[in-house]
Amino acid sequence: MTKALEGIRVVDLTVWFQGPVAAQHLADFGADVIKVERPKGGDQGRGVRSIKALPIGDWNQYFLVINRNKKSMAIDLKKPEGQEIMYRLIEKADVFLSNMGLAWLEARNLSYDKLKAINPRLVYATNTGYGRFGGVDKPAFDMTVQAITGAMARLGEPGQPPIYLGMGSGDAYGGIMSALGIMLALYQRNRTGEGQYLDASLYGAQLFLAAPYLQSFLAGNAKSALQHSRKMVENPLWNVYPTADKWIYLCAENTDDAFARLCRALGAAELAEDSRFQTVDGRRAQSEALVAALDSHLEVKPHGDWLEAMQAQGLASSPINNLADVAKDEQAWQNAYFTKAYCEEVKREVDVRGLPVTLSKTPGEVATLGPQLGQDTEILMMDLLEYEWDEIEAFKAKGAIP
Amino acid sequence: MSNALEDVIVLDLTRDFSTSLSAAFLADFGGRVIRLEFLTAVDQADHQLAPTKGTWDFEADLIHRNKQSVALDPATDKGRELLVELTAKADVLVTDWMMAELAALSLDYASVSRINPEIIYGRSSGFGPKGPDKDLPAIDELASARTGMMPILGQPGEPPVYTGAGAMHNSVMLAFGVVTALIHRQATGEGQEVDTSLFAANMYGASLDIQAFLAIGEGDRFIHPISRLDVSNPMSGSLYPSKDGRWVTLTMPDTDRWWPGLAQALGIDPEDDRFNTHDKRCEENRLELIHLFEERFQTQPGSHWRQVFDEKQMSADVIGRIATSWSWTIPASARSRAWGSPFS
Repeated sequence: MTKALEGIRVVDLTVWFQGPVAAQHLADFGADVIKVERPKGGDQGRGVRSIKALPIGDWNQYFLVINRNKKSMAIDLKKPEGQEIMYRLIEKADVFLSNMGLAWLEARNLSYDKLKAINPRLVYATNTGYGRFGGVDKPAFDMTVQAITGAMARLGEPGQPPIYLGMGSGDAYGGIMSALGIMLALYQRNRTGEGQYLDASLYGAQLFLAAPYLQSFLAGNAKSALQHSRKMVENPLWNVYPTADKWIYLCAENTDDAFARLCRALGAAELAEDSRFQTVDGRRAQSEALVAALDSHLEVKPHGDWLEAMQAQGLASSPINNLADVAKDEQAWQNAYFTKAYCEEVKREVDVRGLPVTLSKTPGEVATLGPQLGQDTEILMMDLLEYEWDEIEAFKAKGAIP
Repeated sequence: MSNALEDVIVLDLTRDFSTSLSAAFLADFGGRVIRLEFLTAVDQADHQLAPTKGTWDFEADLIHRNKQSVALDPATDKGRELLVELTAKADVLVTDWMMAELAALSLDYASVSRINPEIIYGRSSGFGPKGPDKDLPAIDELASARTGMMPILGQPGEPPVYTGAGAMHNSVMLAFGVVTALIHRQATGEGQEVDTSLFAANMYGASLDIQAFLAIGEGDRFIHPISRLDVSNPMSGSLYPSKDGRWVTLTMPDTDRWWPGLAQALGIDPEDDRFNTHDKRCEENRLELIHLFEERFQTQPGSHWRQVFDEKQMSADVIGRIATSWSWTIPASARSRAWGSPFS
């Protein structure tokens, strides 16, 4: 079947998470993504051995999943001969993507000006930590960037530590932002013949993770920057509640009708008649009392009973699942949000994250997991870059390629 | 200057924050985004926050910027005719309506593509176009609850945490899918459907934890919250309170590189033989080091630590409240406090 990005070649000079996952989205839809890595060790992500202090297991899912559907070339870009190979690759490329620092790229003669001169149609994309402007060039990792956006400080119960949105959550967001930026620039390039420089920074992306709350703050609502307790909410019918086993999320509008249905679902006639909770404003003003009352009702039975009762009353609610529940969630498998892929490293099929975006006529796929370091160097040198074998030997002798 | 999507006409049939913002991203880059507002029965206003008179409706300005709006009544002949004409001329339709609602107005993909086979039809749902839950409402909280992350984001004993990040992921994913399909259409002339869901987007936001669990298949540290005093690496993913109560966070997974500088800043001897290798810091004496950090970070206020991190160019920071992060980032020339673009 045709692929949406067939014929688009991407030079992927990225490490760790944000950059690789951006290129993964393009590779999933059929772009020819060539990952360029240093000969010694390659992408640092290859070295991940544990996650949450747990051994990563017999295959490195950190690296192999976000680098799936890619090829790998090992090139020493510190050497002028390595740069020469890179330039020939750039002549044949549509996109260059890197999350190395701008000074790092400059030092290896890979600045935008340099590459644009070689290929004016090139879309040149970077993922800086804090943006191209403003002079901050320190290393950027997900959590430290999240920390300064305000996204963390508004989460959690008052007095509790700020909350990290999950390992790599902001990187994943910067990655899809970057992929979108590249697609926009490619669309334009196809129309005008001209490439351009774009940057999707980790910081810029992560400001959007908190966008609704930031925008509210900008409009003068100082409280949107602060932690809020679940014990005192604007609408007690839209809240998390503990049951005898799992927590549940109840999502109902604060209307008299929804409240009446909730009381029926709970079999709580006395709540339905409680004078404090008779009106929209009453339920809002007395939210602390109402949340406490709902807590004590819901605590006595397991979540399955309550969800059934709520569903019977037409109230939207969900169990708050853990990762073990999600791993076997039928909905995720049926929509290919999870899929199986063959892993060369362990010679068996493994479970991987699938595709969060579906294109009906040109669906993406997971054809291969991440490449071995430099597995395609020689073949690409010959077939794509059209070097003769003696030239390749000469590059090897100079240490430009292993 | 030309804009990337200046030849693209987008019909915006959205009512939720996430999808409306998706269309706004297309508008930001030059797409002519026309919002469809129907004058009949359909509960268009249901999810919109009614602004208090005379105040700035900041949410609408965030998610509907750069758009045009057309109001019509699809129940009348004239309105229906106009709708068909718009559909015929559009390059993209973006929606978050339920399947049945769309079908009732002949705005489902089958009907629309009969009029305009080249259209890119982007739809976001709650849980995806297939499976037992395909018709559940598109509410980000419900999708987030199904993603497995809410129980483990907070500290042990605390309630589950809803972050809202999944909805933001969804906005970008739908826009990405639509522009990818546009590129395919440039090459082949072929239109198609693009699907995303809040569930998929929430899962992608949690990708590292979910993928690790899929691969490892067990582990209490994936199922129950990890105390901040029990993090895997005292120098990465960790949180410590400073003297004035502001929180310090460190992300220096490569501890060999950063240990000498950090130890010195904290008044710890870098050669201390309890902590002088990565394995000692992250395995053997991990808890001891966490407690030492806990004590030392409390000797100075947040501002002191921020200065230290800046001077040493460390990947570490003091957690901003929104107010402080804004003052750090606002360019002097900015005229309005509206939302900029994440790209430059």
